[in-house]
Amino acid sequence: MLFNSIDFAIFLPIVFVLYWFLTNRNLKLQNLLIVIASYIFYGWWDWRFLSLIVFSTIVDFTIGNLLKNEVRVNFRKIYLWISIIVNLGFLGFFKYYNFFIDSFTEVFSFFGGEISVNSLNIILPVGISFYTFQTLSYTIDVYRKQLEPTKDIIAFSAFVSFFPQLVAGPIERATNLLPQFYKRRTFDYNLAIDGLRQILWGLFKKVVIADNCAEYANQIFNNSNDFSGSTLFIGALCFTFQIYGDFSGYSDIAIGTSRLFGFNLKQNFAFPYFSRDIAEFWRRWHISLSTWFRDYLYIPLGGSRGSLLKKIRNIFIIFIVSGFWHGANWTFIVWGFLNALYFLPLMLMNKNRVNTNLVAESRIFASFREIGQMTITFLLTVLAWVFFRAKDVSHAFSYLDGMFSSSLFHVPEVFDSNVFFLVLGFMVVEWFGRSNKYAIESIFKVPKIGRWAFYFLLIALMFIYTGKEQEFIYFQF
Amino acid sequence: MRKFLIQIALFILIGLVIAEVASRFFVFTSDIPMRTVNTNQIQKYVPDQQGYWKMKSHKWQVNHLGWPGPLPDSYDNLVTVIGDSFIENFMNPDSCHQSVLLKKEMPNLNFMEAARSGVSLIEAFEIKKELDTLNPKYQLIYASDSDFEESIAQIHPMSDVTQFNLKTNQIAYGKLKSPGLKKILYNWKFVFYLYRRFSSDLSFNDVQASHSEKSDVKDDIPKYRELIDFIHNNYVADNVIIVLKPNTNPIFQNLLSEYEIKFMVLDDTKDKSWSFDYDAHWTCYGHERASLQVSDYLRKYKK
Repeated sequence: MLFNSIDFAIFLPIVFVLYWFLTNRNLKLQNLLIVIASYIFYGWWDWRFLSLIVFSTIVDFTIGNLLKNEVRVNFRKIYLWISIIVNLGFLGFFKYYNFFIDSFTEVFSFFGGEISVNSLNIILPVGISFYTFQTLSYTIDVYRKQLEPTKDIIAFSAFVSFFPQLVAGPIERATNLLPQFYKRRTFDYNLAIDGLRQILWGLFKKVVIADNCAEYANQIFNNSNDFSGSTLFIGALCFTFQIYGDFSGYSDIAIGTSRLFGFNLKQNFAFPYFSRDIAEFWRRWHISLSTWFRDYLYIPLGGSRGSLLKKIRNIFIIFIVSGFWHGANWTFIVWGFLNALYFLPLMLMNKNRVNTNLVAESRIFASFREIGQMTITFLLTVLAWVFFRAKDVSHAFSYLDGMFSSSLFHVPEVFDSNVFFLVLGFMVVEWFGRSNKYAIESIFKVPKIGRWAFYFLLIALMFIYTGKEQEFIYFQF
Repeated sequence: MRKFLIQIALFILIGLVIAEVASRFFVFTSDIPMRTVNTNQIQKYVPDQQGYWKMKSHKWQVNHLGWPGPLPDSYDNLVTVIGDSFIENFMNPDSCHQSVLLKKEMPNLNFMEAARSGVSLIEAFEIKKELDTLNPKYQLIYASDSDFEESIAQIHPMSDVTQFNLKTNQIAYGKLKSPGLKKILYNWKFVFYLYRRFSSDLSFNDVQASHSEKSDVKDDIPKYRELIDFIHNNYVADNVIIVLKPNTNPIFQNLLSEYEIKFMVLDDTKDKSWSFDYDAHWTCYGHERASLQVSDYLRKYKK
């Protein structure tokens, strides 16, 4: 079920009413309702893959409890590895099987060999990368004794399948989300209103910004040989705003929806396009994934400790694995590699934690220096997104080749002033709201008439500029 | 919770009022004329209505006989133009109606349209029968494949369309479908706008679509033959000419030939598109091209 669909517009109020009016006096019943609603939400896409979620839930619930009673180190490790193998096994099979088979065959033929291994017609279960990482974090935290394993299978099932963030995150940690299922939720007016506001902003980002940019990004990327460098640059820009509007919009809707049900999810995007260097960008983009990799991969590998070579190795591993998480394609690996290259000089010069505060904090406008830094970081990001969007690596290189040709300064063949002004207006709102968790969070300070007028304006823009409906990009990851 | 629900209700209410005002002011959706059923069981429009096509692009009108478009100055040398939504033609201004364009080509004749969206071939003949009282010189019936299909209850059952029932060998007259609901929907402009814009997103539409897959015309030739036989025995006079829209299935042409019913086939193969980008109906250009071919045919036919 898509957040921007009529189905969800009907589903959400029904679940809301049942949740607060029918099951509000019984915590177990409320959690059970969340599980049922989440399974319906997921099964709407393909009910067959519900079995994967259920299986993952049972495995990690059981292993969590086995870990609790197990003191022998070796056995604890075995339990942990069972969970890792089961979870990553599903992920590996559904997401990466064909990639490895095809790559293996290509490498073999490159060295003159001939091998015939058939790839399979595998459907990628929606959201598998997200809920796999979420359940893995639970087992790892229990293994590390940072979290007490739960004995409540319903609460655990609700944690694994919580519908607002099931298919495209944010990837919640058990330490944050699971305890919220143990406590009785009482309706909080301010939280619910804030949630609705964030849903509205998320929908605007998705329906108006992302879907309108997508039309041009698709047109330009799919016919990149036909366009001048300037148009290719516009295509890359369109994809840059598409992916941001799409993914951060999804996160806003997920977080807002959770708030309607009395839950607090972590912020997933913190205005990444206002970053002054690439390290800051990665502290602000897909925060739940970056911190997941930091805590469960980068730090266990040694992080920024140890020899220089080890530090460099760790940086490349984390960025490449992060890229590979996004999809079974060399484009994502190159995208990760490129980001590692961007990050490396900052780390070597020990400047990767320079810009930890908010840009132009307590000022309206940024300084020229900050503007320059933001522009360079933004353009580097745009370049990297070309690899992310291209259908294969050679397409990405030919796209960049076309972009950096003499026609970069020609009048572009494709330019929509409506989309330009929409994106510009959107970025202005984002700039003024950058100290919040989402751009329009502090609009509650505005008198009601102005506030509501703004909400109606957003809704009107959604009706006027509804682009061709696109599935959320991150559904495929 | 009470406060929350009140605020939500208030927000929605104010939103609906603003949206309704905006929908009416900017004419987000076309005005839809009200229908009625006359004593001959023919669905027409309530006479003397008028309204705007969406975004106020042009005005449409229903004449005092209950048909869209202008009436001729005189009923002498009359040619009737009967058809479905193509001829009804609300999406184009009056100047692009077949009757107006044909009149331009053949000033000595007077043309009168009698069209309504959803008219099947059999209903077109029922309308023709009613118009016989005006003693027309020719009766042009514009039809396409779907008009043949929708004429037979056993092929494409539709309660709101007049159809021929092969089992009873009788006409089953179409009924007005949910007239009360339609009245509300058409007058609540914003809701109608939402319906028009998003109804295709509803999942149940997919289910409906899968259930109404078209059958192969070849398999139903005997049924179509029965239909044409019925038409031949009950309606056809020498002055009827069926104008088949481009790409009409040759099976229908053969059946009409078999019963010696006069017809012509419009041809758009060597032309640019006659239709809108977003809609299969003809543009002004399409109407103009069709009228040229029809007038050519009539001229030759008169000789």
